Amino acid sequence: MNAMLSERTSAAASPLAAHGLTHCYEGSNVLRGVDLALEPGSVLGLIGRNGAGKSTLIRAMLGLLEPLSGSATVFGEPALELSDDAKARLAYVPQQPEALAWLTAQQMLDYVGRFYPRWDAEFAQRTLERWKLQPNKLLAKLSPGERQRVDLIRALASQPELLVLDEPAAALDPVARRELLREVALRAGESGTTVLFSTHIVSDLERVASEIAFLHEGRLLLRCGVDETKERYARLWLPAAKSAAAPALALSRRRHEDGSLSLVVERDAQGRWPEAAHLPGARIDALGLEDLFVEIAE
Amino acid sequence: MDASLLTIQPNAPEPIYRQIVEQLRRLIAGGQLAAGELLPSVREVAGFHAINPMTVSRAYGLAEAEGLLERLRGKGMAVAATRRASQSESQRLALLEPQLLELARHARELELPPDPVLRRLGKLMGD
Repeated sequence: MNAMLSERTSAAASPLAAHGLTHCYEGSNVLRGVDLALEPGSVLGLIGRNGAGKSTLIRAMLGLLEPLSGSATVFGEPALELSDDAKARLAYVPQQPEALAWLTAQQMLDYVGRFYPRWDAEFAQRTLERWKLQPNKLLAKLSPGERQRVDLIRALASQPELLVLDEPAAALDPVARRELLREVALRAGESGTTVLFSTHIVSDLERVASEIAFLHEGRLLLRCGVDETKERYARLWLPAAKSAAAPALALSRRRHEDGSLSLVVERDAQGRWPEAAHLPGARIDALGLEDLFVEIAE
Repeated sequence: MDASLLTIQPNAPEPIYRQIVEQLRRLIAGGQLAAGELLPSVREVAGFHAINPMTVSRAYGLAEAEGLLERLRGKGMAVAATRRASQSESQRLALLEPQLLELARHARELELPPDPVLRRLGKLMGD
């Protein structure tokens, strides 16, 4: 696809990279050849509809499942054979954490803290209180949302170089979500933490992500800086009488009942919209990411 | 200036860095921010609004290049010491750009040629 940026980061320099990942469950393709490399210190937001393959992609990139073909690297090491050193520099929060359910939140954090050289026990303590988690309750007895919050604390307290969050927003109320975003943004900006997070709440991503990747039906439809995406794409509406003049290249194309046409179009290298945008009656509408996402994922 | 003076709408089509520059322009042009006034640090703005610090740096950098802000050694960013009167005509015109774009768009949708629109605008402005 013309909109896809070429991968600028070589595997060796990238904290997290996928090369031609494919995977399928029970005969249906979940990933259809995904290439994705994160630059150090970047915050990549992965968006896609439910079932687009976001969690599978994340798990394959971290070596938690063996892909059908393709490969992934973490800090340059093959994801399926990560060293202990690489594991200590990485933190991953799955959508439904299940590990260590027989411990209380406090016991779990005390226990895993020993394995991380840069463990911030004070942060863990403070955030447990702020996020209203009972430290002495068994993890197994917590709700799924509470469980994910404990796991987010674990991930952040380890001060990882690479932080991977799978739908972290689902478990948090708006206040806690804002706090999490603040942590993510400041750590990326100041400590150079590389972050990959998947979400379907697009406004979260617009706050903190430096780049977005749209995953749709197992393929990356778009990979772009957040600001550049907003500036580069727009919806072009053409009345029925002018729809024959529609540009051939468009990210999406929708014909309405009255014969008018909506297209997602891109500026050219000189920053100009396609010529059809200047036809009488034509309209160009700037798009927020959510609208863009809906237009191209439909 | 306090970081809360800025309003950030993450889901607007306009990128956040542009929202910040646009607000700085208006706050400075409108006199709410006086010459020499210190701006909140990148960290304060990013932390308050839970946005990426790189976005704030980008906005400050752009505002500096535009002459709105200047970097004071050891203190951070401040409103540039240029007086309001010294804003060139093109700088002041640039502040109208969003409204002009909107007007141009409406005129095109109504299939109005530029001439009658300009005549009417001239009248409204007391030509």
